[in-house]
Amino acid sequence: MTSPHLATTPLEGSLGGEPQGQRPARLDVVHLAKSYGTGDGAKKVIEDLTFSVSAREIVCIVGPSGIGKTTLLKCLAGLQPTSGGRAAIDGREISGPPPEMALVFQDYSRSLMPWLTVRKNVVLPLRHLRLPKAELKARCDEALEAVGLAHAENQFPWQLSGGMQQRVAIARALAYRPEILIMDEPFASVDAQTRFDLEDLCLKIREGFGMTILVVTHDIDEAVYLADRVVVLGSKPARVLRIVDVELPSPRDQIGTRALPEFAAQRTDVLSLIKRPA
Amino acid sequence: MALTVKPAVAGAAGIAVALAIWQAASSAHAAGGSLPAVATVATDLGGLLAEPDFWSAVGATVGIALLGLGASAAAGIVVGVLVGSFEPIRFATRAVLEFLKPIPPIVILPLVVLILGPTGQMSWFLVFLGCLLPIVMQTVDGVHSTDPVARDTARSYGMGSAEILARIVVPSSLPYIGTAMRVSAPAALIITVVAGLLGGGPGLGARLYLAQSGGDYPTLYALVIVLGVLGLMFQGATRFAERRLLHWHESYREVVHS
Amino acid sequence: MSKRPSLKSVRLWLLGVGTPLVLLAVWWFASADSTDTFFPPLAEILDRFRALWLFDHFTSDVLVSLRNLALGYAIAGVAAVAVGFVTALSAPIRWAVDPVIHFLRGIPPVALVPIFISLMGFGLEMRITSIALAAFFPTFIATVDGLRAVDRGLLDVASVYRLSRGERVVSVLLPAAGPQIFSGLQVSLQTAFVVMIASEMLGPSQGIGAMTLLAQQSFMISDMWSGILLLGVIGFAANFLFDLVRRKVLAWYIGSRRLARAS
Repeated sequence: MTSPHLATTPLEGSLGGEPQGQRPARLDVVHLAKSYGTGDGAKKVIEDLTFSVSAREIVCIVGPSGIGKTTLLKCLAGLQPTSGGRAAIDGREISGPPPEMALVFQDYSRSLMPWLTVRKNVVLPLRHLRLPKAELKARCDEALEAVGLAHAENQFPWQLSGGMQQRVAIARALAYRPEILIMDEPFASVDAQTRFDLEDLCLKIREGFGMTILVVTHDIDEAVYLADRVVVLGSKPARVLRIVDVELPSPRDQIGTRALPEFAAQRTDVLSLIKRPA
Repeated sequence: MALTVKPAVAGAAGIAVALAIWQAASSAHAAGGSLPAVATVATDLGGLLAEPDFWSAVGATVGIALLGLGASAAAGIVVGVLVGSFEPIRFATRAVLEFLKPIPPIVILPLVVLILGPTGQMSWFLVFLGCLLPIVMQTVDGVHSTDPVARDTARSYGMGSAEILARIVVPSSLPYIGTAMRVSAPAALIITVVAGLLGGGPGLGARLYLAQSGGDYPTLYALVIVLGVLGLMFQGATRFAERRLLHWHESYREVVHS
Repeated sequence: MSKRPSLKSVRLWLLGVGTPLVLLAVWWFASADSTDTFFPPLAEILDRFRALWLFDHFTSDVLVSLRNLALGYAIAGVAAVAVGFVTALSAPIRWAVDPVIHFLRGIPPVALVPIFISLMGFGLEMRITSIALAAFFPTFIATVDGLRAVDRGLLDVASVYRLSRGERVVSVLLPAAGPQIFSGLQVSLQTAFVVMIASEMLGPSQGIGAMTLLAQQSFMISDMWSGILLLGVIGFAANFLFDLVRRKVLAWYIGSRRLARAS
């Protein structure tokens, strides 16, 4: 029921060609380290991570579960302090939640306000920007339209399916007009069909809204399908094993792209990195 | 360890500040000198604790509360299982119970005092009435919410009604009954005090009334402190009992860990 | 419930509505010729009810009681939520007040009334203060517990989207703790009602509780019954109104719970 919506949504058109006051930014992570506690009892979660995400690029981070990918994102989002190294947006170091960044959390049921309708959830982060009423409405309409949920704006999140809830969370991020969008295993708890839809939505967002996107996932196929580059993490403590350039033609398409022999080769490449004993 | 010490220190500081404010207000003769000094109350409390009469008042209060609670638990569970097991009865009583539930027993105190006089029986009866409704209503909910699959399974194994009741319905209502008891136990103590204070029933409530009407303020405060400790003990004991008796139950586990 | 009313559900509904009416009728007829001192005819009780509460004592007692209840309860509710916020959001304050609060909570609320009488006499201030203080604790404790249980995920969302402190309080914390705050407010309402009656019964003054006790002591049994009836109706009505507000404010919570249980 959702795919026709997604397919027909004229994302670029809906932007209206006006300047949005936003341009994609570049994210640099340099020798980033994170440990909990201090002294001898300190637990190292991340050791010396270095990678970057160029403007308008989609980068996926893959790695075994439980190696601290969520911790990494929390550091990048300024929710937790790092213990070493630095992360910067266009050269400005991140020391608190950066205004140019939005985050889509893994657990949509714990990231949407259950007492707000879909539209009010989307509007919530915009209120303190003190936008003119018309602009607020336009942004919200556009974001809901983009994720194909314009019809559900007056429903509560808990009345929607998991996939729809995650699309509300994405709409909230879009309406915020971030330069960088970070997603933490965004499609981990939705069914397979919805997952494909959401992956394509993610690609369309990059085209239509011109964002820099960083996606954490444990699904290698998803990473290869979405990304321009894949950062493969090794575990305990987390470190970069290799950064793989994905050379697949654009625009990508769930059936065609996944059937390409290059796709199989790339995923085998990544998989063997993860499966190989360190 | 540092984490466990800090709250304790802060807590001790909080108690010290509260006592200091009390002492300061008393020294300043706030409220026309009717607020006794901390030390005076402490001495009075010490005197009370050495007094056999005081302990018999404590005994009466606790005894009445527990007897009333026990009686209403026994009656409430039986009535609750009956009402919950038969749908017509459940519907017939629901409006009546919903109407009576928010009405506290203090409302009917004048009538009960009129009939039974300022006696232990009067206090007991008020406790019984006050705890009965919550227990009945929770038991009804518990019986009503028994997993129908479990009930059907039991029936398909050829269990009779009595056996289903004893093995399926009652055990699965236990968490509800536990909740009702946790709410009712402190209420039982409160009602006993109310019955003593306003109705002249024996125990600490009546002594509280005497202290207030006789202007014996140190004793008044000492008694309130004793009641606070008793109240905490009632709350603690029921929570402990509930945890010990119902730890096996799924819904209880959820509550504890969430 | 089933979608269309079956014969059975109609019968059950009739049973629910009918039983209270039948009980009232039984009371009316069984007591009609009663000469029992303690149980006068219902007709007489209602007669006294009308004469006493709707006319003679309406402004002098009924309104005074209700105003004390409303005022004390409102003060308690606002103060408890506000102080609860300050306490929950600052760990040192929480640690400091925790033991004192828990001790005060153990005291039966009605036992505070004699203390306030000793401090403030029998006047209106005493009654309102007693009600407010006794009703403070349930809501305060529920507010602190509710705020401490707010989901980390929601707070992360608030941080990422850089909500201001005020927005965080009004748009995230308050609604998230709403269900718990409301259950605290409901207990507070009960407590306020009990303390209202107790404060009137202990002081030789005005109010429905005082009039009811006075009637009992002067052996005006029908008057006493009418007082009991009025207090019962007020107790029920207060709770009923509260529930209406709760259903409105927490519609999202009630709805989501019902949905979760159905699946």
